[in-house]
Amino acid sequence: MRIIVPIKQVPETNAVRMDETTGTMVREGVEAIVNPLDLYAVETALRLKEAHGGEVIALTMGPAGATKALREAISMGCDGAVLVSHKAFAGSDTWATARVLAQAMRKIGAFDLILCGERATDGDTGQVGPELAAFLDLPVVSYVGAIDGLSNSTLRVRRLVEEGHELLECDLPALLTVVKEIANPRLPTLQGKRRARLASISAWGPEELGVAGEETGLKGSPTRVVKVFRPKIARQCEKLVAADEAGIEAAADRVVAFLKEKVLL
Amino acid sequence: MAMNYNPVTPRIVAELRRIVGERYVIHGDPEKLTALSHDAIADPHYAHMPDVAVRPANAEEIAAIMKLANRERIPVTPRGAGSGLSGGAVPVLGGIVLLSDRMNRILEIDRENLMVVVEPGVITNEINERLKEFGLFYPGYPMSLEMCYIGGNVAENAGGGKAVKYGVTARYVMGIEMVTPKGEIVEFGGKRVKDVTGYNMLQLMVGSEGTLGIFTKITLKLLPLPKYAVSLLCLFPSAAEAISAVPRIMTGSGIIPTAIEFMDKQCVQISCDYLNESIPREGAGAMLLMTVDGASEDQVEREYDLVGEMALRGGAFQVYVADNATTAERIWRVRRNISEALTLITPNQSSEDIVVPMAQIPKLIDAFESLSARYGVRVPCFGHAGDGNMHSHVLSDPSWSAERWAEVCPRILTDLYKLTASLGGTLSGEHGIGHKRKKYMPLVMSAPALEMMRAVKRALDPNLILNPGRYSRTKLERQGGGNGAFGQRFTHN
Repeated sequence: MRIIVPIKQVPETNAVRMDETTGTMVREGVEAIVNPLDLYAVETALRLKEAHGGEVIALTMGPAGATKALREAISMGCDGAVLVSHKAFAGSDTWATARVLAQAMRKIGAFDLILCGERATDGDTGQVGPELAAFLDLPVVSYVGAIDGLSNSTLRVRRLVEEGHELLECDLPALLTVVKEIANPRLPTLQGKRRARLASISAWGPEELGVAGEETGLKGSPTRVVKVFRPKIARQCEKLVAADEAGIEAAADRVVAFLKEKVLL
Repeated sequence: MAMNYNPVTPRIVAELRRIVGERYVIHGDPEKLTALSHDAIADPHYAHMPDVAVRPANAEEIAAIMKLANRERIPVTPRGAGSGLSGGAVPVLGGIVLLSDRMNRILEIDRENLMVVVEPGVITNEINERLKEFGLFYPGYPMSLEMCYIGGNVAENAGGGKAVKYGVTARYVMGIEMVTPKGEIVEFGGKRVKDVTGYNMLQLMVGSEGTLGIFTKITLKLLPLPKYAVSLLCLFPSAAEAISAVPRIMTGSGIIPTAIEFMDKQCVQISCDYLNESIPREGAGAMLLMTVDGASEDQVEREYDLVGEMALRGGAFQVYVADNATTAERIWRVRRNISEALTLITPNQSSEDIVVPMAQIPKLIDAFESLSARYGVRVPCFGHAGDGNMHSHVLSDPSWSAERWAEVCPRILTDLYKLTASLGGTLSGEHGIGHKRKKYMPLVMSAPALEMMRAVKRALDPNLILNPGRYSRTKLERQGGGNGAFGQRFTHN
């Protein structure tokens, strides 16, 4: 099985501070890590490889420093990695990103499966995975919580929905986005780190990928950020104080009435 | 000789309110006072209710409280965040609990002298959060750093996870301002790196467990913040192999890691279950968690690779590498949560803090095993392998009643401490004696040595007002107000 895992380098969220005036993230001096939700996709890919053979290739689009994220993926057990990087790609929205990544996937060549994390913890859109599938004309299953089996290039998966799981079958090649439930990511090993340090990572720009400048970056992005603001969280608190049994009864009645009012009961 | 204490009367409560202000006295509120009746020890046997708690704002108010307490013969127990593990902040004779939570300011960051001046109620971790932007750090790293107060760290001479490389709290305490047991405000030390002017009173106060003075200002030495750190989680087939690898790792690599933490199989299992963590660990009888830090990425990479290599040569069959916030937090939280996870297993347990010369740890682990077998208890073991400080929890058989545990536990501990002493070790490396280990002191300290400590206490606190009932041989009793039975508990003539 040949599996491609697109990953993203994101700022370590616990360390992120917001710029009070612009409402944007202060990225300077903040450690960059592999999007934690992508690690579940990497782990799932490695388990499929262990069960069925094949190879796992990690792919990312970002600045040159994003090779660090790729080396982390290799140290976990990925076999190869590709960096998509060029200043023409800077400022790409999810659509333009997916378009460039799709081109990179075509260049990587025949594959059976693309595994994505549910979403990136910085942008929080969850759009790139399904958009990639659209560009590549692949079946897509999002929010996959388990892979139940693989036979004759048909994958059986369980998709997490509000009230349980949907059981789905889909033909390969396909694209899945996976959720935390699917597998606990492994830790990189010392041997893995050594291998990752020595691994050569190809870097592809617009030329290698054959994409035109106007298709990428800000120019190629239909999304416009019109306004960035911090939502106001207004908590309306009602305090019930009960001194005796009758008071407790009355307070409980009030709680029940409140929950009914909000259609929570 | 007997020392009699008086109950806290409404008149005294009124006087306390005059000193600190109406809203900073907690009295007649059982819910709030219960929270101040214990520290982080789970066993309710070690708890005792205070009569009143006060939240002073400064040294002057504390001095006034101490003068009042001396005049009225009421015991005063200072308390930090209550994260202690020896009962040191428990008001064993009732009386006044003195809180430092309002004295929580970082007073000065002195970049020229690499020092910081803080009040005792600052949360330890906050100091480093504030220092980060200046490229400085305070190397104290107790496992409870996200809640404990620096005042408590100094009072207990806290150790923690980085002691193997950076030493314990005492190394960084350069000066203090404190209120004496009699209610005077004094200063020791300062921003001087060298100082032999008189007895080293400063270091007598560090680790005095709130029995000799109440800190009101603390001057700490700082170090340049290491920019890079990488942690390694090394899996060994057995505890013996993990422990014997430790000296080999240090001598073989020539590198002193920032931390070398040991966790046996039981601890890892219990903590991972508690955290719902599934780090692959099949076949691991024990683990070492090590951190290497430094100023450059290349240097740290070279060093962790070498340390990891030495671990493999020393018998580790797998070495995981955590070089970013996600993975480092994942492995360190397993270590940090062991204690809490263990307390959920049974209330009948004793958390231990034994310290032995590093090379004796394998023998200590054998001793834990033989104690488990002899008494039918579990003794999961973890701790600071790099400095010989091992935390084990002696866990009761779940079928035992609290009474049976209360009867058997002292026998187990006596055996354990005798053996520890025979290995050149002692009762506590960093948690303190408090009232939990008091009666075992004669097992590790001679009578004249103990008497010297008591003489110091009597000289500074003749009325035995400040945190009494710790090392004293004096019969301590409360007049009226119940709790009379506790007089008995604090006598061992």
